Amino acid sequence: MSQIVLQAEGINKSFHDPITIPVLKDINFSINKGEFVSVIGKSGCGKSTLLYILSTMDTDYEGNLFIDGESMKQKKEGQLALVRNAKIGFVFQFHYLLNEFSVLRNVMLPGLKLGTYSEQEVEHRAMEKLKILGIENEAMKMANQLSGGQKQRVAIARALINDPLIIMGDEPTGNLDKKNGEIVFNIFQELAHEFKQTLLIVTHDNEFAKSTDRIIEMHDGRIIKC
Amino acid sequence: MNIKLIISIAKSLLLARWKQTLVAAIGVTFSITMFITLLSFMSGLNDLLDGLILNRTAHIKIFNEIKANPKQPINLSKKFKENYNFIQSIKPNGARQEIYNNGAILKALKADNRVMGIAPKITAQVFYNVGTIDITGVINGIDVEAENRLFFFKDYVTTGNYIDLLNVPNSIILGKGAATKMIANIGDVIQITTPKGDRIQLKVVGYFQSGLLELDKVQSYASLATTQKLLGKPNNYITDIQIKLFDITQAPKIGKEYAKIFGTDAEDIQTANSQFETGSSIRTLISYAVGITLLIVAGFGIYNILNMMIYEKMDSIAILKATGFSGKDVNAIFIIIALSIGFFGGLVGLLFGFGLSSVIDQIPFNTASLPTIKTYPINYNPKFYLIGTIFSLVTTYFAGMFPARKASKIDPVVIIRGK
Repeated sequence: MSQIVLQAEGINKSFHDPITIPVLKDINFSINKGEFVSVIGKSGCGKSTLLYILSTMDTDYEGNLFIDGESMKQKKEGQLALVRNAKIGFVFQFHYLLNEFSVLRNVMLPGLKLGTYSEQEVEHRAMEKLKILGIENEAMKMANQLSGGQKQRVAIARALINDPLIIMGDEPTGNLDKKNGEIVFNIFQELAHEFKQTLLIVTHDNEFAKSTDRIIEMHDGRIIKC
Repeated sequence: MNIKLIISIAKSLLLARWKQTLVAAIGVTFSITMFITLLSFMSGLNDLLDGLILNRTAHIKIFNEIKANPKQPINLSKKFKENYNFIQSIKPNGARQEIYNNGAILKALKADNRVMGIAPKITAQVFYNVGTIDITGVINGIDVEAENRLFFFKDYVTTGNYIDLLNVPNSIILGKGAATKMIANIGDVIQITTPKGDRIQLKVVGYFQSGLLELDKVQSYASLATTQKLLGKPNNYITDIQIKLFDITQAPKIGKEYAKIFGTDAEDIQTANSQFETGSSIRTLISYAVGITLLIVAGFGIYNILNMMIYEKMDSIAILKATGFSGKDVNAIFIIIALSIGFFGGLVGLLFGFGLSSVIDQIPFNTASLPTIKTYPINYNPKFYLIGTIFSLVTTYFAGMFPARKASKIDPVVIIRGK
């Protein structure tokens, strides 16, 4: 039996402004190690909201969330930050690189924050990640000198730096053209199959979803297919 | 928390907006420069003005006040003991100004380890004779060496050598004003009339300039022996004993003690010159107020710039938090940004402040009333530099605290979903 990386237990969430609207209703599912999972659904069905709860950034929900067997419900802001740092890698629709830093430094930042390795080692690891993504030649450029597709690849390298348990993506190809989108998608495939990386990707691109191991489909705040 | 990493992020954010950073730092630099200069100059002036009085004033002066005897016979009488006696037209009795048994008193004072030094003195009222006109004056008979050691007599003798008072018999150092009135040059012999009507001739060996013009029109100096001679008194006659203490703040207490022991009057410097202390403290207060106001204004500048930086860097802060930086880390980043603006701005400010004070210190400042002063006075007290450093850090810390707290509270979900 494979190891459970992430487990959601009866997660409910409502928005209260201006009137109470339930957005997530009784979400129960779990993700095993090495799975490549996509979450699909129409706009407004709550898939992004769910992702932010699973990522520990949104703490305003009912129910319980386990990451690597640990409950996230009781943890404080600082502890959650540590969990995100060590166990979760993010790729967003927008790349969110820091323009003040070089590409290499951007990738290194979460690694330096974690502090498991020395600065030289983190740098070495960052270069390796960039190599996997085929952008090691851009390492010394500033983040704003890169093209959109390259930036997104840097963002993926940044997500990988701490060897996270799971990588979460919120429409990671949404902002890219078809060609770059495919490149990014192929990278995810490679990560999943060659490196056995657990991936949870929210997308509205059904073709993207079809080629993943498992599709979670959402409708009106409920999981209708798991 | 990884301090090195936090500092490197703060540094990158700072340098990315180096123009704004520079403006903020210049604000701090300017205010610290002005703070240091203002305080150094003001305090230099204070010291100068205080020194004008304090250097030449005894901490305690022992003398006999001309006054009515507090023990009137009727009060001593047993018969009227129960009454409240009104006595009118009392006259001072036994108007002897000299200090009795002063040899023993001087010996006792010399043995007291709180006393830095003593200088006996005679005050004699005289008339300077200028042709047919008599000008009232005061001759201070001084122990020349003690007076110089304790009260820097030499500094105020602008022409001639002070020690000639000892070396030349029957010599006098005239106040500058008095000399001008009498048209007396160095080496001239002037004539004075003593209170008893004797006419005595004295040789002018120097001019004395105290800085207080009215005083210089009246005061002159002669040696103790010369003064005793012109008053026709024996060589143990002195009217005042000037005492300089190691600790000036003890003066009122010790003064009272001496008055009781020696049965004379004793006046301490605090009582005699209270107005100077008031003036000094108010001037200092004003300088601090102006300096701190400048710093607070600079603090608002830093606050604005950090606020703007936070709005610009919303995305960066959000992603830092998403990738594992806690609110505390973000808070620390912005506090470090603020403090480094304060630190470097302040440091340059200290240097500029020192430079500007040094420049002011070189500006010629000649005034007839202050013979020893050639340039504007500056006090290079390290205390001001310490206060400047502390204030620059404290104000920038507070200026950075609120924006930093705001940054630490940014919810990454709101920013990231907003795109």
